[in-house]
Amino acid sequence: MTKRLQDIARRIGRPFYGNRRLIKYYWERTRRNKLAVFGLAFIAFLILLALIGPLLTLDPMSVNFEEKNLPPVGFTTEKSVYHIETDDFTTTEVFGTWRHPLGTEGKGRDMLAMIVSGARISLLVGLIATGIAIILGTIIGVLSAYLGGWADNVLMRFTDIMMTFPFFLLLVLIVFIFGPSLAFIVLVIGLTGWTGTARLIRSEALSLRTREFVTAAKALGASDGRIIFRHLIPNAISLIIVIATLSIPGVILAEAALSFIGLGDPTMASWGIILEAGQHSLDTSWWVAVEPGIMLFLTVLAFNFLGDGLRDAFDPKSNI
Amino acid sequence: MNNTILKVNNLKTYFFTRRGIVKAVNGVDFELKRGECLCLVGESGCGKTVTALSILGLIDSPPGRIINGEVRYGNLDLVKCSPKQLRQIRGKEIAMIFQEAQSALNPVFTIGDQIIEQLKLHLPLEHREARDRAMILLEEMGIPTVERVMSYYPHQLSGGMKQRALIAMSLSCDPQIIIADEPTTAVDVTIKAQILDIFRELKAKRQMSLIFITHDLGAVAEIGDRAVVIYGGRDIETAPVSEIIGSPKHPYTVGLIECLPDISKTTDRLVSIPGIIPSPIELPQGCPFHPRCPKAMEICSQQEPPQTTISEGHKVNCHLYQ
Repeated sequence: MTKRLQDIARRIGRPFYGNRRLIKYYWERTRRNKLAVFGLAFIAFLILLALIGPLLTLDPMSVNFEEKNLPPVGFTTEKSVYHIETDDFTTTEVFGTWRHPLGTEGKGRDMLAMIVSGARISLLVGLIATGIAIILGTIIGVLSAYLGGWADNVLMRFTDIMMTFPFFLLLVLIVFIFGPSLAFIVLVIGLTGWTGTARLIRSEALSLRTREFVTAAKALGASDGRIIFRHLIPNAISLIIVIATLSIPGVILAEAALSFIGLGDPTMASWGIILEAGQHSLDTSWWVAVEPGIMLFLTVLAFNFLGDGLRDAFDPKSNI
Repeated sequence: MNNTILKVNNLKTYFFTRRGIVKAVNGVDFELKRGECLCLVGESGCGKTVTALSILGLIDSPPGRIINGEVRYGNLDLVKCSPKQLRQIRGKEIAMIFQEAQSALNPVFTIGDQIIEQLKLHLPLEHREARDRAMILLEEMGIPTVERVMSYYPHQLSGGMKQRALIAMSLSCDPQIIIADEPTTAVDVTIKAQILDIFRELKAKRQMSLIFITHDLGAVAEIGDRAVVIYGGRDIETAPVSEIIGSPKHPYTVGLIECLPDISKTTDRLVSIPGIIPSPIELPQGCPFHPRCPKAMEICSQQEPPQTTISEGHKVNCHLYQ
């Protein structure tokens, strides 16, 4: 199985797979863009956080009403306590504790643990949905360009229809029918988000397929499949990488937006879900909404910076 | 014994464009004998390359279509073959070498990768065997430090090296016929001489049949056995190379040979054939060459000249020799 995967990676990613010199060259070019390096570093940190973070933090789902609405370390809030004997409220000051460095939310769950597990979910959503979208978009785009004629027409008109299709409506419908499940959300985002990719890849493949090496490959007996997978896709791989990097933040935001309006999976503490929970208590415990907000902001920014940096690095016309 | 390996009969390839029907190939006839080098000679745009692409069924459709004629290879008519049959013939039986090696090689794969892939495509070889064969092939092409070149990308090689790698790739499956489309046009004279040497050797050693497409009469004289002169999508003169060069019959062939600059004479102006090659959309009536022909007669603009046999193996389409 791993051998098979390796083989596929080698075939499609051939320009980069096992080619240290080229990777080094592009790294040198990317490195000159400070923001891109920041983006890469932040994404690496995020991945690390998502991978090993949950082992180090408290259980993000354990509820503890004794410790609800604790502020982050270094902040204080006032808490009103109702005394049944005197039928009166007393106000006490509450300090952040090191046990909950980022505070707790309204049910006493640890914010740090929730942010960390939210990173895992958001990244997973971003990567899987983008993966589905990119694979679909690449296949449809390349096929469209390569086959041409009526097939091109059918595929591109289908793309147009998908582009105008209100996928939010589809999500609402699916959530209504199947209940709010993360798997469905990922699937729907992936299955509807390939249209832009298909357009871009098609235009790239249109120019690639008229190149002489494609005719030469045909003249030496290559089949259509071989031309698509050996000649067209590997030559478009840098474009595909850039599109993928730049579409991950959109997907993460889409999931957060869905969660925010209440269509998210309530069993998972994704950033969108936390944000949604936090909006109701902005006046008492602002950190519940602000913390996932900052994380979303930084993540989206990091992917965009990295994508821009990669685009410049891969573009032979730009002199950086 | 039948000595003809490939026979092209009245081949017509048209492109149906918005501006009109482009008659790129308009009735070409020739036959290729086993082990010979046949040159297709003509100016740019006369239909040489389209003829070659038509033989292999590589015309993009739409807009192009082979509307008439047959290409006999063994007992197959390549024009009527299924795409699958054609794929098995391409590369294995008939291979093609393209003009510009830089653009005919895939820029993102190493030379070794590309040759190995080609070998594995047609022959049941293990990776290791294919690799060994690829290295032997490159060595035969006179490439030094084969091991290194195998791991190079096309842009890391010089023009001559690329052309040799491309030839090695075309030869990898021991095809019966090689179609070389101006392989010496994009390289300088010394490389050109070396590449012509390679072709000469191939012909001698492997008994390969060669269709050599060129506009360079020097190269024709060097390696050709017979030549077909093409003008306006038609073959207008077919003869052994010595006769084409020594006693050309068609006024166009005569003109072509007069155009060759002579290094021993100093002249102010080089000789050229007046006029330009006709647009393949509006080919002139009658003989396609008559508007430029110094010996044009009235009949030339009315009737297409039939083929006349001058001598054994020398045929010409011209009213002068009726």
